[in-house]
Amino acid sequence: RKRQLLTEIVLRNRLTALVVDADTTCRVLEQLLLRSYGVQTQGVDNGRDAVTLIASGVKFNLIIIDMILPILNGLEATRQIRDMGVHCKMLGVTACSGESERQAFLAAGVDVFIEKPLDPEHLVPILRELDG
Amino acid sequence: MDVVNQLQRQFIDYSASLHREGFLDDQFTQLQKLQDDNSPDFVVEVASLFFEDCEKLINNMARALEQQQGVDFKQVDASVHQLKGSSSSIGAMRVKDVCIAFRSFCEAQNREG
Repeated sequence: RKRQLLTEIVLRNRLTALVVDADTTCRVLEQLLLRSYGVQTQGVDNGRDAVTLIASGVKFNLIIIDMILPILNGLEATRQIRDMGVHCKMLGVTACSGESERQAFLAAGVDVFIEKPLDPEHLVPILRELDG
Repeated sequence: MDVVNQLQRQFIDYSASLHREGFLDDQFTQLQKLQDDNSPDFVVEVASLFFEDCEKLINNMARALEQQQGVDFKQVDASVHQLKGSSSSIGAMRVKDVCIAFRSFCEAQNREG
């Protein structure tokens, strides 16, 4: 079942995603995972750069954002992005696992809270939904 | 060709044993599948990145734990938290499990632990 999921869909570069994670390993892996499904990705390593990028008008279908980020943390960055009127799908992907963290991230504006690692089982249904 | 086959067999056996002994989990298997002709060195490159990050984090932790005046457990915890995230992303299950245990020591402010 898991083997199937990895090659189940290929989106042919119709979708774009922003990955916001301070940890190089996580950010690179998440971008590569998305790219393996044909999603075009950009990556930033702090909350402020994420907000600046979105504020500049760049559109994404999907934003993957960690909770703990330098300069501007994930909760605040999420709030600011939502306050700009950006309605794209946002996934909070974090190593935090507590219920209070989950509630806080959802309250800040992410649509889904995912405990790391980001895996195909969580990602594929979301990509399917975005692809229509 | 014999040497190549032999090395391939060794690699498969070694991978299998790492999985069996709980060093690696399914996440690593998923990552290996991402390696293809477009990114032939993907696993090696990502593993190298991970080891670099690990080294930095472990040095941070060591420095914080060596403080004679009093250990800043928040700082140690922050590094362990980051290591938990990256190790789980790459499929280094045993490292991730150690991080989870480590964090309970931080919460209890247990330096000996």
